[in-house]
Amino acid sequence: MSGRERLRHAAVPFAVSLLAVFLACLGGGLFLELRGKDALHAYQVLIERGLGNPGQRTETLKQMAPLLIISGGLAIALRAGVWNIGIDGQFFVGALLCGIVVPELAGDVPRAIVILIGAIAGLVGGLLWAVVPGILRVRWGLNEIITTLMMNYVALNVTSWLVKGPVRDPERVAPETKQIPLSDRLPDIPGTSVHIGLLAGLLVVVLVGVLFRSTVLGYMFTALGRNRRAAIHAGLPVGRLTLLALLLSGAFAGLAGANDVMGVQGRFSGNWHPEYGFTAFALVYLARLNPFAIIPFAFFFSFLMVGGQSMPRRADVPTYYIGMLEGLMLIFFAATVALERLWSRATRRAPEDAPLAIGAASAAAPVSAESDAGDGAVSAPQNTALSAGETR
Amino acid sequence: MRWQFGQTRSQAAERGEGAYPLPADAAHPSSVAASGAPIVEMRGITKRFGPVVANNHVDLTLREGEIHAVLGENGAGKTTLMNILSGMYQPDAGTILIRGRETKIATPADALRQGIGTVYQHFTLVPNLTVIENVALGAEPGFLLDLAAAERRLAQLLTDFELNASPHTEIRHLSLGQRQRVEIIKVLSRGSRVLLLDEPTSVLTPVEVEGLFAILRRLRANGVAVVLITHKLEEVLDVSDRVTILRQGRKIGEIGPEVISSGDRAAIRQRIVEMMFGGAPAEAPSASARASGAANGSTLLALQDVTALGDRGEVAVRGLSLELRAGEVFGIAGVDGNGQKELGEVIAGQRHVTRGRVILDGQDITNKGVAACSRLGIGYVTDDRLGEGCVPGMSVAENTVLKMVTRSPFSKGFWLNRGAIEAEARRLIGQFDVKTPSTATPITALSGGNIQKLLLARELAMNPRLLVCNKPTNGLDLKTAQFVLRTLREQADAGKAVLLISSELDELMQVSDRIGVIYNGQIVGIFERAAADLEAIGHLMLGGRERGVA
Ligand SMILES: Nc1ncnc2c1ncn2[C@@H]1O[C@H](COP(=O)(O)OP(=O)(O)OP(=O)(O)O)[C@@H](O)[C@H]1O
Ligand SMILES: [Mg+2]
Repeated sequence: MSGRERLRHAAVPFAVSLLAVFLACLGGGLFLELRGKDALHAYQVLIERGLGNPGQRTETLKQMAPLLIISGGLAIALRAGVWNIGIDGQFFVGALLCGIVVPELAGDVPRAIVILIGAIAGLVGGLLWAVVPGILRVRWGLNEIITTLMMNYVALNVTSWLVKGPVRDPERVAPETKQIPLSDRLPDIPGTSVHIGLLAGLLVVVLVGVLFRSTVLGYMFTALGRNRRAAIHAGLPVGRLTLLALLLSGAFAGLAGANDVMGVQGRFSGNWHPEYGFTAFALVYLARLNPFAIIPFAFFFSFLMVGGQSMPRRADVPTYYIGMLEGLMLIFFAATVALERLWSRATRRAPEDAPLAIGAASAAAPVSAESDAGDGAVSAPQNTALSAGETR
Repeated sequence: MRWQFGQTRSQAAERGEGAYPLPADAAHPSSVAASGAPIVEMRGITKRFGPVVANNHVDLTLREGEIHAVLGENGAGKTTLMNILSGMYQPDAGTILIRGRETKIATPADALRQGIGTVYQHFTLVPNLTVIENVALGAEPGFLLDLAAAERRLAQLLTDFELNASPHTEIRHLSLGQRQRVEIIKVLSRGSRVLLLDEPTSVLTPVEVEGLFAILRRLRANGVAVVLITHKLEEVLDVSDRVTILRQGRKIGEIGPEVISSGDRAAIRQRIVEMMFGGAPAEAPSASARASGAANGSTLLALQDVTALGDRGEVAVRGLSLELRAGEVFGIAGVDGNGQKELGEVIAGQRHVTRGRVILDGQDITNKGVAACSRLGIGYVTDDRLGEGCVPGMSVAENTVLKMVTRSPFSKGFWLNRGAIEAEARRLIGQFDVKTPSTATPITALSGGNIQKLLLARELAMNPRLLVCNKPTNGLDLKTAQFVLRTLREQADAGKAVLLISSELDELMQVSDRIGVIYNGQIVGIFERAAADLEAIGHLMLGGRERGVA
């Protein structure tokens, strides 16, 4: 492949994603106008509050950390054809575990150790929460879309019960764990007021990039996600890969929870319900499952989240507006990808080499939970990863 | 003439083009068969993919009521030419005339509107929808499917094409031959007057091939222009009126109906082969392909009373016992769907054995799984090269090492060794003459035959003791097919065992030491080649009773 072609290969998908973003903003603006709002003003507010002054920019950068960490993990799962819808649940469990463990250590051990243990607590919490859907999928072929989704509700209830009772800070009425002393929170990156979670996020994304580029495991994940039957035929450990992809994405979601507890919140609170799952899906798809493309999109989505917080008050737009925008992006993304395929087919290349697209994703929506686990060795083509068990 | 239903609905007919009305009676096919008016003329078509010139100033004229075969070695540009006609690709140069008018074919849907229908080598039906739904999908006017109306209109078409299945059967329960018929029906129901078939016979049993040809002849009688791509010259001589030969993207020549119908098959065949390969073809059974040392080889693989289920839970392999000796090519003859595919998968560890044992060189390997079997020296070339043989979206190089990526030198522990992967891909491409622009090309850009070569190359690179091949010559041109058969023979002569599953008796007879006939999941007869009797084998394949000489 010539250099120019390679460039074209990278640039076209990126442009398509940008087009989707642009169209979504346009569509969202139209929606506002139709409801009699001033769309231009709304976007002005969004930009001002997201990037307008150094304080806002810091917020946006801080908000990138959990998005990067989650997306890195989610990219692994989706590349392997595993649909982890349970990001939010895994995030919660990781956050709670971190919120329980860290205050106990605080003050007795050096900060670096505290943070390390807090991070491990987050990883373990998220991983544990992915174990059950993982085993259900691999052993019995249960559709992980359903099971991970259900585990979200279980996580919400279990964590809120725990934080109201057993692990509540006895000195407080509110359902909260003990506060982590400021001296044991994530330190700022020298010279900035952005905590080191951002670096952790970048590190995760780069590691995932290296995983796919240079490791056997990454190669096997990709092969599995692109053609499950070929993976079975080639004797790849399909079951273990599926489980591992789910566990890794769960662990990273949990790590993001720890990041927010140690970097932003200072404790796990029962009243705190961030929902990163959907945002992360939109983000990873727009980045075409490409870890390095995740970085700019994470910045953009982070900006949307931060700037969007002020929109309801200052521009009188509905609170769900940013969520709606993300949804529109996915819809336009699917549409532009379909167009891109048509275009590339009409001009030069076979359609198959277009990067994995959400076209497959929407087709794979949980319409049928039909299991073909009975004889996994010969199951139907499974980019969709709806079900199917281990090889034999 | 009953299947004109689609035609009456077609836009062409609505435009009232004079040339369209069909003959009222199809009773005299041959009278129409002689060259009718041109429907499609492709002129000076050129198509490049990077450095590869897939089509180089190709002219092709398709006439009413003519079956036009397009021939050429693997990678000659046949599929590309059809993709251009069906709107998949745009040519870099050249023009297409439809009924004398210059036309741009922008998309496959556009081609269909212009009366050009394609039956792709890899079917486009939706497996979970019924026959009727598939045919009606996208064909019926309006947004909602009126299935009842569709069914009424299609009923005739379905009986005409002898589908032998209820229109309410889901596609996934149909045989490949039946699916292909549904594809043809689907295309015709949109009023296609030009039908493009890319290697339609490679998935069919001989009986199904006959059925397909009967359909093609009827279409010809109705003035449809048919393009047939195939690597089987006998088929070409059986049905086609005209032959166009491509070599390395160029049109080398055309043989018209005057010559084809002259009847001297051997001479025509010779001429075609010369044009295809530009020289003497590899002649069939060479001395090396005849070597035999099988009789005294020791047993390498034994299947004992093996039972296994098929994809739909039916018993596919039924208490089958078989012994394979080192140094022999053991051919499995049978009509598709009698358990031979599942037999291959059982040996490769890819299919669960529900009863019985599989023993390799004294070691029980029953249900050990693909990875273990592969490590123990069993290779398996699947017949489903795109479905499970390779990973679309990965490059040629990455696909080359799909089965050995965990082995040295392709990985060192956790890390991929891209240099070694690259080198191996280069080596195999060179050794097996796989035509590809580069090792970084996506595998799906390779021509069908070249993917097939790569799959075999990849298996041999692992140096297996036992090689199971399911239809390894499928989609290969004559020369390459001979190369593959010779390679299998050499493997056996080097002391390996080869299990060759094929639906082509000729090739089985050519290289096998023994031929086992499979029917309904059982080996119903085993013949030494010397004693093999085609008639007896054919009889057994269809379920006849008597046992062969063991
Ligand atoms: N999308 C593509 N991108 C790059 N190269 C391509 C593409 N499609 C085809 N080619 C190349 O063009 C050449 C012709 O391919 P084509 O598929 O037309 O061959 P074919 O005659 O159909 O061969 P076969 O008999 O093996 O099916 C091949 O060298 C192939 O590698
Ligand atoms: Mg082809």
